[in-house]
Amino acid sequence: MNWIDIVTIMRDEWSIIGILILLLAGEILVDKKQLSMLIPIAIGLFVLHTAMSFIPGDKATLFGGMYRTNEMMHFMKAILNVAVLIILFQSYDWVKTTLLPNGMANAFYMLLFAVLSGMYFLISAGDFIMFFIGFELSTLPIAAMAAFQLKEMRSTEAGIKLVLLAGLASGIMLYGISLMYAVTGTLYFDGFLSAYYHEPLLVFGFILFLSGLAFKISLVPFHFWAPDVYEGAPIAITSLLSVVSKAASVFILMILLLTVFKDLSDAWKMVLYILAVLTMTIGNLFALRQTNMKRFLAFSSIAQAGFILLGILAGGAVGAATVIYFVLIYVFTNLGAFGVIQAIKDESGKEDMTDYTGLYRTNPKLSLVLVLALFSLAGIPPVAGFFGKFFLFSAAAGKGYYILLIIAVINVTISLYYYLLPIRAMLLRTSDTPIPTTKSGNMMRIGLLICVAGIMILGLYSPVYSFVLGLTQSWL
Amino acid sequence: MTERIIFYILAFIMIVFSLMSVTSTKIIRSAIYLLGVLMATAGLYFLFNLNFLGAIQLTVYAGGIMVLIVIAILLTHHVGFGLPVPDKKHMILGWLAAMIGITISFFQFTTHTFKPKIGNLDDRVSKMGADMLHYGDGGFVLPFEVISILLLAGIIAAITIAKGGIPHLKKRLKSGQPTTVSSSTKKQ
Amino acid sequence: MHGTERFTAAVHQWLLGMFSPGAAHIAEMVLTGLAYLAFFAVAGLALVYLERRIAAFFQVRLGPNRVGPFGLLQTVADALKLVAKEPIGTKKADHFLYSLAPYFLIISSLMAISVIPMGAGFSAFDIDVGVFFLIAVSSVGVLGILIAGWGSYNKYSLIGALRSGAQMISYELSVGLSLLTMILLVGSLRFSDVVQAQSDYWLIFKGHIPAFIAFVIFIISGTAESNRTPFDLVEAESELGAGFHSEYSGIQFAFFFLSEFINMFIISAVAATVFLGGWMPFHIGDLEGFNHIMDYIPGPVWFFIKTGFIIFLMMWFRWTFPRLRIDQLMKLEWKYLLPLNLLNILLMAFFVWKGWYL
Repeated sequence: MNWIDIVTIMRDEWSIIGILILLLAGEILVDKKQLSMLIPIAIGLFVLHTAMSFIPGDKATLFGGMYRTNEMMHFMKAILNVAVLIILFQSYDWVKTTLLPNGMANAFYMLLFAVLSGMYFLISAGDFIMFFIGFELSTLPIAAMAAFQLKEMRSTEAGIKLVLLAGLASGIMLYGISLMYAVTGTLYFDGFLSAYYHEPLLVFGFILFLSGLAFKISLVPFHFWAPDVYEGAPIAITSLLSVVSKAASVFILMILLLTVFKDLSDAWKMVLYILAVLTMTIGNLFALRQTNMKRFLAFSSIAQAGFILLGILAGGAVGAATVIYFVLIYVFTNLGAFGVIQAIKDESGKEDMTDYTGLYRTNPKLSLVLVLALFSLAGIPPVAGFFGKFFLFSAAAGKGYYILLIIAVINVTISLYYYLLPIRAMLLRTSDTPIPTTKSGNMMRIGLLICVAGIMILGLYSPVYSFVLGLTQSWL
Repeated sequence: MTERIIFYILAFIMIVFSLMSVTSTKIIRSAIYLLGVLMATAGLYFLFNLNFLGAIQLTVYAGGIMVLIVIAILLTHHVGFGLPVPDKKHMILGWLAAMIGITISFFQFTTHTFKPKIGNLDDRVSKMGADMLHYGDGGFVLPFEVISILLLAGIIAAITIAKGGIPHLKKRLKSGQPTTVSSSTKKQ
Repeated sequence: MHGTERFTAAVHQWLLGMFSPGAAHIAEMVLTGLAYLAFFAVAGLALVYLERRIAAFFQVRLGPNRVGPFGLLQTVADALKLVAKEPIGTKKADHFLYSLAPYFLIISSLMAISVIPMGAGFSAFDIDVGVFFLIAVSSVGVLGILIAGWGSYNKYSLIGALRSGAQMISYELSVGLSLLTMILLVGSLRFSDVVQAQSDYWLIFKGHIPAFIAFVIFIISGTAESNRTPFDLVEAESELGAGFHSEYSGIQFAFFFLSEFINMFIISAVAATVFLGGWMPFHIGDLEGFNHIMDYIPGPVWFFIKTGFIIFLMMWFRWTFPRLRIDQLMKLEWKYLLPLNLLNILLMAFFVWKGWYL
């Protein structure tokens, strides 16, 4: 290992931390009145960073096994980059009008990039120390960002709830890690389980460890924080939590379960089976009753996380590919939905489902984007969401999980009902007090356009899936 | 023999203080009992000759975190304040959960045969320092550096929230609204 | 073998002759504890006497001179009065914490004293992380002040306690970092190694420029750490009565009072040990003859002379500088001392790397 290797192989990490430090220097050096010029710089640099992350990565191990990467992990990071980029575009107006006057705009970008770098290290972790640091780095700043809307008590409440429950989850997880360490005597992922997978203490530690991760993906019964935090936090942070953070955690969960804890599959398959059933069902049942759009999407994303578990349960290169593909689609879909909610909230300050009645009359474009996103979430062909779910289910069917599949299909049917509720309100109903015609900024339009393009292209253009499958096949 | 007796004394202190810390209804006393637990843990480290770890435990927990907790309590609470006693249902459920956890852990620990690490533990501070900056096998330079990013993010977040809150606080003071969170978020 | 080592060895032999090895071990522990407690009380009283005499000296008056020869017994009499006094507290106070608080201070000071070598092999607890351990235990003492301020149920006490919390957390950084600068020269955190490393030159001469900067920073932040003027906002008598110990009286007040002086002693002793060679006599490089003459003065004498010098310095400050305001205090630490300290560490690291030290 030499220095050039460290720079080229870890280029994603270097570049994001470089942007972070640049912004920090800007915050200190630039005159207070001209701080607004840092916003385009931040976004511009991040566009370059995202473009760079599409250069394929190599398979490598650095720092004595603490950091490892390969083509698939690199692609995962690219997915996260795209998601954060969309969030940057969508939140531009909000940052400019709400955060900038308080002098918090630059901090928002710095924390966002710190979180992203934490996710990189989380995905690339080669031992439990790096895993845990990445886990914390990708959680704690979000808690602060959730409290960024200082005027609203709900936002503060969201931040405190997140930080407390994240602390609890980390505590449980750390206890699990320490028990596993007590059994195996090593923290490195390589050769972690070689001879110890039959020890009950290890299984006990593993279950605790899994609970910590399940908290972050908000699987039932570790989901209690999600709706309140999603509702209270600013929309940009809600989309960060429900899309980027969830995607990163799903990725690392998949990587760990399919490689490090492979020998424990008897244990985790049973646990995951139960979690999947609970998560899908309870997420759906609660989503039925929601009237606040953010809360509604929170429960819907809990239910979606349940579907993802099907792919992990299926395992193998095919299962992994379906998971990554589903997450890729989920990024565009959910961010599309959140983008529309943000655009409407920025203009009118409304986020209740009843407010959306007759939206099509006043805002046809925005409501079409939302309809598309909801169709994709529900899994209606030919939009991308259908293929995501279809591949997941066929992967699970291939491994013989028929009962689970039946439960999943029932849940998809239930979800159709509640996804169609806002669509009916927007398209078919008229309202006496509709949301006035809103004119979103250019940045928001770009963000929404990327989402729409993603939803359409991934649904109609098949080589993406075979590309992902190629990546996972070379990984496993 | 002496070591064993000291170990059991420390363990007893830890158990008693942690129980008192959880059950006390005065928040500052909870904090002080927690301090007892942390100090006893440091004592355990010193007993096992892990002096560096013990000193870290003292600085970080007793000197850093506990002082922060106590200052936070000093700023937000009042001597007369007491926390509400939780209702019976929650008490029973909590104790039940704790008992289940203890039972499972107890059985796991007693049935598992732990293997002692072979070889002497090199706990010289200079060796630890070299390990922190070593980037090959068994080195910790990467986590060491990434933690610094975590701390940087923490500092940025804390400063931003503290500074951003000031204008709102001033506005609230001017308009005569309550300034503390506890009095304004009461359930209607 | 130094005199102090011979003394401890003799005590050890004597105890072994009288008891079985296990009992001798326990007896040694008890004796050491008692010795430190006795030292704690005597040093505290002596320092109070010194403080009053030196204050009088600076103000051109006599100070205590009636009780005993030169007024030496004055502080003993004061202590007896305090012990005999009835403790009076506030009615609504949190009595458990109120009574607990002084012991935090005492225990943390006692633990801190235990690692300082007062002569060759003459410290209770010579561990490999000595310097760090000292910083660690002295940070526990601030909790005592905070709890005392809270438990007294008095707003002046509370304000004093909060000020002290902020002050001690801040200045602990500078104390730690300036000690770390010197550790770079020694390469070990053990106090006996730190002293041994000064057998040719004291560290303040060895590390010349950065060492002198570190010494100045240490003295400033040490004065702040022990809550003495000009950093005595904790008990600024014109604003807060007596600060965090306003509501204490009798023996508990005596505890606070004593531990304050002991803290000053600890800071001075650390400064003497780390910068001025501790018990190590004044040596100059290879000058055998000179060094040999210096060796005739025993280690503890050197130690107490150096410590006394720094104590005198700190008492001098008290009558020279006006008290700082709280924001000036914070500004001094965070905007000047801390960056200077970090730069100083870099400078020292560079010097050590290049070998530019004596």
